[in-house]
Amino acid sequence: MDVLPRRAVMKGGLLAALAFTIGDRVVYLSPGEAHAQGVALRTLKAEEAETLGSLCEALVPDARKAGIVEYIDQQISGPPSEALLQARILNVRPPFANFYRAAVGAVDKGVAARHAGKRFAQLSSDEARSFIKDMQANKIEGWQGPGTGFVYTVLRTDAVDVVYNTVAGYEALGVPYQAHILPPKKW
Amino acid sequence: MANEKVDVVIVGAGASGSAFAATLAKAGKKVVLLDSGPDWKNEDLISSEMWGRRIRPAGPPFLHEGKNPFGYVGQAGWGVGGAALHYFANFPRYLPTDFKMKSEHNKGLDWPISYEDVAPYYDKVADEVGVSGDAKSEEIWRPAGKPYPMPPMKVFKAGQIWKKAADSVGMRLVPAAVGMNSVEYKGREACIYDGWCSSGCPTGALANPLVTYLAEARAAKAEVRPMSTVTRVLTNAEGTRAIGVEYFDGKRERQVQEASIVILAAWTGQNPRILLNSATDKHPNGLANKSGLVGKYIMTHHIANAWAMMDEDVQPHMGTVGAQYMSYDRYPKTTNPNAFGSSYIVAGTSFKMHDYAGSRGDLFGPELAAHMKKAAKGLIRMNMFGEEKPNAENRVELVTQKDEFGMPLAKIVHSYDEDAVALWNANIDAGAKVAKATGAKETWSPRGGMPTSHLHGGTIMGKDGGSSVVDSYGQTHDISNLWIAGPGVFPTEGASNPTYTIFAVARRGADQLVSKWGSVAG
Ligand SMILES: Cc1cc2nc3c(=O)[nH]c(=O)nc-3n(C[C@H](O)[C@H](O)[C@H](O)COP(=O)(O)OP(=O)(O)OC[C@H]3O[C@@H](n4cnc5c(N)ncnc54)[C@H](O)[C@@H]3O)c2cc1C
Ligand code: SF4
Repeated sequence: MDVLPRRAVMKGGLLAALAFTIGDRVVYLSPGEAHAQGVALRTLKAEEAETLGSLCEALVPDARKAGIVEYIDQQISGPPSEALLQARILNVRPPFANFYRAAVGAVDKGVAARHAGKRFAQLSSDEARSFIKDMQANKIEGWQGPGTGFVYTVLRTDAVDVVYNTVAGYEALGVPYQAHILPPKKW
Repeated sequence: MANEKVDVVIVGAGASGSAFAATLAKAGKKVVLLDSGPDWKNEDLISSEMWGRRIRPAGPPFLHEGKNPFGYVGQAGWGVGGAALHYFANFPRYLPTDFKMKSEHNKGLDWPISYEDVAPYYDKVADEVGVSGDAKSEEIWRPAGKPYPMPPMKVFKAGQIWKKAADSVGMRLVPAAVGMNSVEYKGREACIYDGWCSSGCPTGALANPLVTYLAEARAAKAEVRPMSTVTRVLTNAEGTRAIGVEYFDGKRERQVQEASIVILAAWTGQNPRILLNSATDKHPNGLANKSGLVGKYIMTHHIANAWAMMDEDVQPHMGTVGAQYMSYDRYPKTTNPNAFGSSYIVAGTSFKMHDYAGSRGDLFGPELAAHMKKAAKGLIRMNMFGEEKPNAENRVELVTQKDEFGMPLAKIVHSYDEDAVALWNANIDAGAKVAKATGAKETWSPRGGMPTSHLHGGTIMGKDGGSSVVDSYGQTHDISNLWIAGPGVFPTEGASNPTYTIFAVARRGADQLVSKWGSVAG
């Protein structure tokens, strides 16, 4: 029978080591490492990245340091069939970059309408919380883009991925990872 | 280059396609399986929720409409093994009442066969793919059958807590029947309860098609052609016979595979889409659609969740994603006075990070971080799957937008009726009662959107070509050498998870095809 013996393939390797480009070199890093090394973004513009980073940080503490921006940027820059994004499971139609662009654009427009031209990243933490609560409840006036509740769910899931869904994230919560096969270094 | 004509071409190498392939290839037929996705191997089944998403579709060919849209990708497969490559392998049977909804209740539809017709195949499938459980204990609800080939799976703390709580409110829980190995089976390893099943189990402990029917089919020389997306079934000039299928290969080149028999096993949404896209002047409304019912009667289970947070460390990461306990106590379709339909109960599963986070989708920021800490020690869940009645308005139909191969996309239109909504609410109440009985200080049962699970119908079976698309074996009424496999042929959906019945019905159909091969294959 063509099956693998238990744990035979548990060789180590980095969880979610993804291909990033530094200069003209392709390197394999975890999203957190990519963030620490300041890897240049391929698809997201600076303002989009800033909004995404601060919203995800407000949703899941430590998401920025864990590389949420670099992760999303890397994922929406490659073929959708290879994406690890939850957007895939939630029936978002590729290219996934369109969804993320529309989502962060709508967030900033919604914030600007409420807070005299500010962007999400400029909100106080109380203002950010109340905006997110209204997103959950689909109560942002004049919102244009994918549903507010849906955007909340997708981005929250992405942020949970980078913070908790890694070997380090499991360890931090005291949950044994107990993999059969850890993700490969190169993919 | 033209492909050589074969005896059988099967569209979709998932659960139902593999079951047909194994039977036919072992009977000496030359079988080709075409699958639109990759040829996954055990080595590809990486233990990670994130990496596990690669084995699901990206960009489904369906749009959604209606009050309760169906969550397509979460339930779909992509590539060899289909959705059964990463399913939870809960293996409850349908009960006799599921086959007789119309005659017993004057609602919905009847199957053209009864439980007794399928029961021998439940026993066969259990032996063939390996089922763990305690058949005897299920016989308080169903007719007797053979014992399962393996004893029940291990029970962990979550299961023990639910069992005690259910006992205290008079709900009977028995060991769950699952397509997993409690002990080594047919050279496949026993489960080690690490809970990675829905990212794919690479050890063979979970009965996915790669290690069961597809392995048997391959050993009997069936050919699997991955990255082959079928767009149409082709018919002869008179429109009386299927002659093969059109598909696009991995290089996006058009190919034709001729065959004496064509079997569609591309799941509930895709089979009607392909049939509707195969219209010709002889079949202007799509193939096998003289009844006008192709795409109609789409059904999906709704799920009621009851959560509890225990103070003690219950090690929620231990176990499998399948259930530890099950119950048919709420299965009789008139269990609730104002909410018609069956319900099937499962309790005690293992969790990963998204279960912890998803159990309280409303929390974010520091509250989410605090919840994650608690959940990783104390979270437990009971689920109730509920039935909806067949309703022709719930349907798959083609739309004008096209996919990369020029094939029209389809939309799935789905709304629950009043009975289904009432049943879901009744199930939430029933689950909440058991959750309270666990003694947990914190229990909750979300009532936001109705979660959907499993897809059935769209090519339903019935007695004749006026009221159904196929007969009880999957043979279409209109074109004798065109067959359909999978939950799409079910005229009612019961409340049980469908795959045990998918396998049983497909194996029954495949045996019939072999036995009347001469008259069908021509
Ligand atoms: C997360 C999850 C958990 C589940 N848990 C359970 C459970 O506990 N118990 C249970 O009974 N069921 C469960 N299911 C459901 C079960 O997996 C499905 O009901 C079953 O696999 C359906 O069988 P099928 O043969 O119809 O389709 P599939 O097994 O999905 O196979 C269909 C195949 O067709 C291919 N295909 C699609 N379109 C085309 C095309 N145009 N050309 C060529 N190939 C095509 C696909 O790539 C796929 O491989 C679960 C499913 C999921 C996703
Ligand atoms: S829990 Fe068992 S069936 Fe699930 S992945 Fe692990 S070994 Fe396989």
